[in-house]
Amino acid sequence: MRSAKIPSQETEVSVATSRLERIVDAGIWSSRIVVAALTLFAAFALYFVVTVPLAFGQQLAFATICFVCALGFRRLQGQYATLVMIMLSVTASGRYMYWRLTETTYWERPLDAAWGLLLVTAEVYATLVLMLGYFQTAWPLKRKPLPLPADRSAWPTVDVFIPTYNEPLSVVKPTIYAALALDYPTDKLAIHVLDDGRRPEFKAFCEEVGVNWTIRTHNRHAKAGNINEALKITNGEYLAIFDCDHIPTRSFLQICLGWFLRDKLLSMLQTPHHFFSPDPFERNLGTFRKVPNEGELFYGLVQDGNDLWNATFFCGSCAVLRRSMVEEIGGIAVETVTEDAHTALKLHRLGYTTAYLAIPQAAGLATESLSGHIGQRIRWARGMTQIFRIDNPLTGKGLKLGQRLCYLNGMLHFFYGVPRLVFLTAPLSYLFFGAHVIEAAASTIAIFALPHMMHASITNSRMQRSFRHSFWAEVYESVLASYITAPTLLAVINPKLGKFNVTAKGGQIAKAYFDWSISRPYLFLLLLNLLGFIAGAVHIGLNWHVRSEVQTTVLNLCWTVYNMLILGASVAAASEQRQVRSTHRVTMKMPVMLKFATGRTLACETIDYSEGGVGVKLPNGIAVPLHERVTVSLFRGDEEFAFPATVGFSEPGRVGLRFLQLTREQEYDFVKTTFARADAWTGWSEGRLADTPLRGLSHVLLVGTRGIAGLFEHLYSDLRTWTSKTPVDAKKLTTKDQ
Amino acid sequence: MKVITVVSAKGGVGKTTLAANLASVLASRNRRVIVLDLDPQNALRLHFGIPLDSIDGISRATLSQSPWQTVMFDGIDGVTVLPYGAVVEDDRRRFETLVDGDPAWLARSLNSLALDANDIVIVDTPPGSSVYTRTALTAAHFALNVVLADAASYAAIPGMERMIDAYAAPRRDFAGQGYIVNQVDQSRQLSKDVLKVLRDMLGSKLFPGVIHQDEGIAESLACDTTLIHYDPLSQAAADLRACGDWLLAAIDAIAPSRNVA
Repeated sequence: MRSAKIPSQETEVSVATSRLERIVDAGIWSSRIVVAALTLFAAFALYFVVTVPLAFGQQLAFATICFVCALGFRRLQGQYATLVMIMLSVTASGRYMYWRLTETTYWERPLDAAWGLLLVTAEVYATLVLMLGYFQTAWPLKRKPLPLPADRSAWPTVDVFIPTYNEPLSVVKPTIYAALALDYPTDKLAIHVLDDGRRPEFKAFCEEVGVNWTIRTHNRHAKAGNINEALKITNGEYLAIFDCDHIPTRSFLQICLGWFLRDKLLSMLQTPHHFFSPDPFERNLGTFRKVPNEGELFYGLVQDGNDLWNATFFCGSCAVLRRSMVEEIGGIAVETVTEDAHTALKLHRLGYTTAYLAIPQAAGLATESLSGHIGQRIRWARGMTQIFRIDNPLTGKGLKLGQRLCYLNGMLHFFYGVPRLVFLTAPLSYLFFGAHVIEAAASTIAIFALPHMMHASITNSRMQRSFRHSFWAEVYESVLASYITAPTLLAVINPKLGKFNVTAKGGQIAKAYFDWSISRPYLFLLLLNLLGFIAGAVHIGLNWHVRSEVQTTVLNLCWTVYNMLILGASVAAASEQRQVRSTHRVTMKMPVMLKFATGRTLACETIDYSEGGVGVKLPNGIAVPLHERVTVSLFRGDEEFAFPATVGFSEPGRVGLRFLQLTREQEYDFVKTTFARADAWTGWSEGRLADTPLRGLSHVLLVGTRGIAGLFEHLYSDLRTWTSKTPVDAKKLTTKDQ
Repeated sequence: MKVITVVSAKGGVGKTTLAANLASVLASRNRRVIVLDLDPQNALRLHFGIPLDSIDGISRATLSQSPWQTVMFDGIDGVTVLPYGAVVEDDRRRFETLVDGDPAWLARSLNSLALDANDIVIVDTPPGSSVYTRTALTAAHFALNVVLADAASYAAIPGMERMIDAYAAPRRDFAGQGYIVNQVDQSRQLSKDVLKVLRDMLGSKLFPGVIHQDEGIAESLACDTTLIHYDPLSQAAADLRACGDWLLAAIDAIAPSRNVA
C-alpha cells in the first residue's frame, strides 16, 4: 500500500513545483509596490513569529512541529524546498535569539555578566553569520560556460600572467608548459612569466620554450605590483592570471572567455582553485578526497552563491580579467594584503559585473604543513579585515544591497576567532566558577537552543552537503581560531597592524612528527576542558540531591565533552604525517601503452600520474620485472606521446614507472597529456559518502577521539626521546628508522 | 554479403597480417567472416593454422572448375579461409589470364557461396597494381588501403586512388574506402610528422587510431596464429579491435546489397 502511494505523492510534488514556478515567473514581481507590500507583510509576520511569547509546552510543540516540517521538506528535491527550510531555520534561530536577548541577560554577579556578555556576543555573531550565509548561498547560480564564436579570428587577444617570486623553476615549469598547451590561437595569446626574483635560470628557460620573461626593477606591492607593471608593457584585451603553481587545463581560455563576449560589463570571471595534493587537514586526518576540504565550501558554494548577487570575488589566480576595466580602477589593488578581493570590490563599485564558473580548470599544490596553511589563512583574514576598515563595503558608492551583504559576510566570516574560543571555553565558566552565564533553566534553554542548532544543522547540511560535511567547520575553525584572532582584531584597530610572518611551504615531511609548538593553544584548551570536566564531575558528586544543579552541570559537561573532541580533532590536524614524495600522484584513469625492450607492447590503463612517472594497472597474470626499460605512450585525442621510463615498483596487478631524463619537448608533452587535460579535474568528488548531520558528527567525534589517543602516543614517545637524549641514542634511532 | 578488399600500393606494409587479424576481430563480433586470398604468395592461410603443406585453394579450384566450397577451410577464431592455393607457374599464368578476361569472375564465384547479407568477405591482394587487385576492387563494397607512416607510402597513395577510382568507385554498390596506418612507432619524430600529414590529407577516411608496431605480430605468425589469439593484451591487439569496430560501423552503414549476378 505504501509503495503504491509514493508515485502519486511524487506527481503531486511535481505539479506543485510547476505551479510554484508559474507563480514565481509571473509578471507581478516586477511591480515595486507588490514587492514592497509583500516584503512588509513578510517582515511583520516574521516579527510576530519570532517575538510571540509561548509557554513551555507551547514552545515545545511549536518547535517540534517546525522541525518535523523541516524534516519533511528535506525529503523534497529542489531549491524551493531549500528556501522553505531556510525560512524555518531563520524562524527557530530568531525565536532563540529573541528569547536569549530578552529573557536571559539579567546577570546577578559581575562574573556572570562578563562571561554571559561574551557568550551572548559570540552567539549574536554566529547567528548573524548564519543568516548572511543563508542569504549568500540561498540560490547558487550554477552558471554554465558559453562557447566562443565558431570563427576563431573573432576571438579576443589574451595575455597569460604567471607571477613568481621565489618558487623553484621545477614548481613553475608545469604551469608554463600548460600555458603553452592552452587551446587558443597562438597569434592571440601571449604568455608572460612575471619573475620578481629576476633569476637567470628562469630567463634561460623562458627563452628556450618561447614565452616572455617579464621583470621589473623593484618588488613594490609584491604580486599585485608585479601584475600592474606587466599591464603597462602588454596589450591583450584580457588577462588570465595563474599563480605559478596553478596548472591550467587546455580548455581554460575557451571555457572562460565566452561570457565576456556576451556580457559587455563583465570585468572578471573566476574559476575554482583546485588542489591535487592533500592539504594538512586532509593528510593528517586521513580525509583526502573523502571529506570536502576547507576551501571547497568557498569555491563550491559560496562563490556560486555570490554569483547570483553579482558579488563573485576575485581570488588572485585561475581567473580572467578584462584589461580595460582593470586599468580603469588603476590596476590590481595594492592597499591590502588581499589584493584580489579588493580588486573585485573596486570593479563592483564601478558597476561592473563579475562571474563564477564552478568548473575546475586549473589545479595546484595545497600548502604542505599546518603552519603554512595557518599562515595563509591569517593573511586572508587580515586582508579582508583591512578592506573592511579602509574600503568598507557597507558604505560608499556603487554597490547593491546584495553585494554589500555578500562582502560583509566575506569579511565577518574571518572574525570567527573570538566566538570560537568563547564557545570552546563557555561551559568552563560554570564548571570552574559556578557562573550562570545564561539565566534560565536547563530545560528551557534546551527547547529554545536545540531547535536553533538542529535547524541550522539540517539546513546547512542540505545546502552544503557536497562542499562541507556537517560539523567539519567546527574542526577547521577551532584549528585556526587561536591564530586568526589577534591579526584580525589588530587589523580592525589599525589596518597596518597584525602582520604575521608566513612560514614557507614545507616541501617534504621526512618523518611523522607532532607539531607541539603550533598545537600549544589546542593543548591548553584541551587541558582546561579536561580540568573543567573533572570539576564538573566532582560538583555533581557533591550536589547529587539538588536537581537543578545536576541538570545544569550535566548540560555543561556534555558541551565540554563535545569541545574536547573538537579540540582532539584539532590536535590530530597538528600531528604531521610522513610525506616523502616530493611529487604528488594524481589519480587518473586513462589509456596507456607500454612498449618493452623486446618490441612487445601492452595496452593498459593508468592508475595515477605524477611529475616523475605513472602508475599503471596491469592485466591479470602479467608481471613486469623491476628496473626493466619501457617506453610509455600516453594519448591526447589522436595524438600519442612516448616517454622513456624504467620500472621503479612492481607488484601483481600494478607497476610504477619512473621517467628517465625527459627532454624539454617530452616534459611539455607530458604536461599536455596529464595536468592540462580538459577533464583532468572533473569528477574529483566521485565516490564520497553523502553528508548527513549525524554522519558528519560521528565522523568528527571519531577523528577527535583518535586525535586525543594519538596525542598520548606522541607524548609518550617524545617524552622518552627527551629523557634519553644522548648522541649514541640518536644514532641508534636513525639506524632503526632505516 | 559485404566484400572488403584490402589493398596497398607498396609491399611490406603488413597488409596480409592486418587482413587476417581484422577478420579475426570481426569474427569475434559474432559475424561470419570469410577471408579470400588473392595473393599468389598464399600466405594468408598461415595465420589461421592451415598446414604449410596444404596446396588447395581457389586458383586450383577455378582451373579445375570445382566449386569453391571444396577449398574452404575452417580456420581458428571461427574464420572461414579460402586460400590462394599452390600452383605451378604455368597454371598461375593460365589462372591470371582467365581472371583478366572475366571481370565478373570474382563476384560470380562469391555469389555461388550463397552467403547471408550480414556475412563479411575480406579479400587480400598482392601489393601494387595487378590483375588480382583489379579483380578484387571490381567486386569490392569497401576498399581498405593499408599504409605506413613513411614517405614512400605517402607518395604511393595517389596511384592506388587512381585504381580505386577506375575499378571500384563507378559502381553504385561501392561504399567507399578507408585508410589504416600500420606499424606505427610514435617515439620516432618522422612517424609523428608523416602521421600528421596523412591525417590532414585523408581526414575522415582514415581510421582515427593507428595500428602500433608490435613484435607480437611477427611472433604470432611464427606461431601460425593471429595476434588477437597470440597476445590479446597487446596494444596492437587493442588497436585491431578498435579498427575492427570502426570497419564494422563503416560497412554496416552500407545499404543491404542487391544481388549483382
